[in-house]
Amino acid sequence: MDILFSAEEQKFREECREWLAANVPSEQRPLNAADAVDFDKSWQRCLFDAGWAGINWPTEYGGRGFSIVQQVIWLEEYAKAHAPWIGANFVGVNHGGPTLIMNASEEQKTYHLPRILKGESIWCQGFSEPGAGSDLAGIRTRGRVEGNELVVNGSKIWTSFAHVSDWQELVLRTEEGSQRHKGLSWVICDMHAPGITIRPIQKISGQTEFAEVFYDDVRIPLDNVVGGLGNGWKVAMSTLSFERGTAFIADQVKLAHEVDELLAKARSSGMIRDGRIADQMAQMRAEVAALRAMTYRNISEVIRTGQPGPEASVIRLFTSELGQRIQRLAMVIAGEDVLDFHYGDDGLVHDYLRGFAATIAGGSAQIQRDIIGERLLGLPKSR
Amino acid sequence: MDLTPNQDQETFQTATAEWCRDNMPLEQARNRPEDLWQQLGDMGWLSMTSPEDAGGLALDHSTEALIFAELGRVLAPIAMLSTAVAARWAGPGKYALALPGEGKLRLFDTENADAALGIWPAGAGTLTLEGNLSAKASLDQTASLAAADIALKPSAINDPRAALHLQLLGAAYAVGCADAARDMAAEYAKIREQFGRPIGWFQALKHMCSDMAMRCAVARSQLYFAACALDCDDPDSAFHIASAKRLADHAALENSRTNVQVHGGIGMTDEAYPHYCLKRAHLLGFIAPAAQEILLGQAA
Repeated sequence: MDILFSAEEQKFREECREWLAANVPSEQRPLNAADAVDFDKSWQRCLFDAGWAGINWPTEYGGRGFSIVQQVIWLEEYAKAHAPWIGANFVGVNHGGPTLIMNASEEQKTYHLPRILKGESIWCQGFSEPGAGSDLAGIRTRGRVEGNELVVNGSKIWTSFAHVSDWQELVLRTEEGSQRHKGLSWVICDMHAPGITIRPIQKISGQTEFAEVFYDDVRIPLDNVVGGLGNGWKVAMSTLSFERGTAFIADQVKLAHEVDELLAKARSSGMIRDGRIADQMAQMRAEVAALRAMTYRNISEVIRTGQPGPEASVIRLFTSELGQRIQRLAMVIAGEDVLDFHYGDDGLVHDYLRGFAATIAGGSAQIQRDIIGERLLGLPKSR
Repeated sequence: MDLTPNQDQETFQTATAEWCRDNMPLEQARNRPEDLWQQLGDMGWLSMTSPEDAGGLALDHSTEALIFAELGRVLAPIAMLSTAVAARWAGPGKYALALPGEGKLRLFDTENADAALGIWPAGAGTLTLEGNLSAKASLDQTASLAAADIALKPSAINDPRAALHLQLLGAAYAVGCADAARDMAAEYAKIREQFGRPIGWFQALKHMCSDMAMRCAVARSQLYFAACALDCDDPDSAFHIASAKRLADHAALENSRTNVQVHGGIGMTDEAYPHYCLKRAHLLGFIAPAAQEILLGQAA
């Protein structure tokens, strides 16, 4: 075991650092999704033109095909340089695109992948429904086959960036009467198609970033089905292995920075003399260090075996809860100034409120604990 | 960069786990055979990082940390920590573990030891043990305890890495202890039935076990990183080792406490094993504890 990077890897790190220092925009990413989307598109285009887009995508689809260690280095430097959050491009670049790479036809890939990488088309996700949250297999939105089209009715919810999206990765029930994981399909839905109504939803942080989407006889060509009718569950799950452990690199760097900023604040205000605050900060510094160690360990496992280790499921839960503990402490250290927060404010209160999503979105902390108990410890399945 | 054990390390780790299972099970931690210490020396575990010309195996700290986590899992004798550190920085032979405290010097596992090693306010040091020390009972019943005069002056070990070494091995023991408590709880949760089901089916119990697994994964990862940091003389190695110790102590204690709760009534009994881990975790918390100022570092 060792923690040293090779000379070649160090050189690559320098390249990343230099480019980012010269190119990271000085202006803040706008808070409101509608304004932010233009910012996100032009930043994605800038990354693409300089050859930094799709760092983990295969080169034949316009990506860089970096090794996993290079990805780690790029993501670390990206976060250290305070480069902008990928924002509206998140689903396309990190989820929809990778799913297409693994499951789509040549035609689908040739059309969509370059547009995603260049920031020309924005994607959103259509998985959760009002009746299918943690229990995703309870999906009821249905698509009836009519000629060479699907006719879609139902609704999706918590769809981030729905109102600025061009395309949606939509999972729906295409076999009448099918149950649970069977009879689902993963389709590419044109968000500008007739019959789609979007109701934006405001978050507790004030942003209107996600939405409920209604489908009323929306017609989607059967050519837009990815991976074949009825294979939706398999297609949706395939992306989990694509991420292969680099997903939390940026979080680790970001959280380390946040803790050190908090510590500086606690020192200048004298709050560090409160033993409880000092003790919590000491614990957090250790935990942030451990998060890097866990991530490196998981990546090493991928390099060695091609698969993330069994403890990979722990990283996500630990990261989300650690982030929330840090945000909670930031609220304590800030004191009564937090009471002046209003919608539209950026900063720590906004981050604290927005941060509640970390243990809810994409499988709640409770579902994660079920998975850890069952897969890692072999406890009997509760569901 | 590679934070997974290589093939040699894996082989070493498996062999250690198997030997411990056959010769040093946790269940016998209060009644170890007399000749056990000799066997531990024969296995090479007491001088893993010492140079070959001093009779050691000249291995790196990352291999040693892996092995000590396995030894910690069966609550191996506490003086293995002090003896392994002494072999690298002071000299051969069994060293009892010294814990200088408030007006009292506690010595653990003094049987057949002529010397002791510990960390004093000025740093790591050793003592020569003279006269008949009377061993007494201690909270951790796997370790005998003797009291000595606090005025005894240690001879200092001049390399600061000696104290870091003890802290690292203490962290490895704590990771092992946390693992043992997690596995004991999970196994019990699979066989103990109430309301017609294994109690591990209930999310209240399952999630307690999941948290134990999370604490183990966090602490073990940092242990590996810290051991590598010591091996390559990383400028932040003191911080990384302190972090490993802090997280491992936390995991050992919280997992041990949870393990008693998962066992319910049987967990309250002397004849069951959960309290072995609990009491060991309390002892480990006093061995080279992580200093808050090191954890808080120089930031700002």
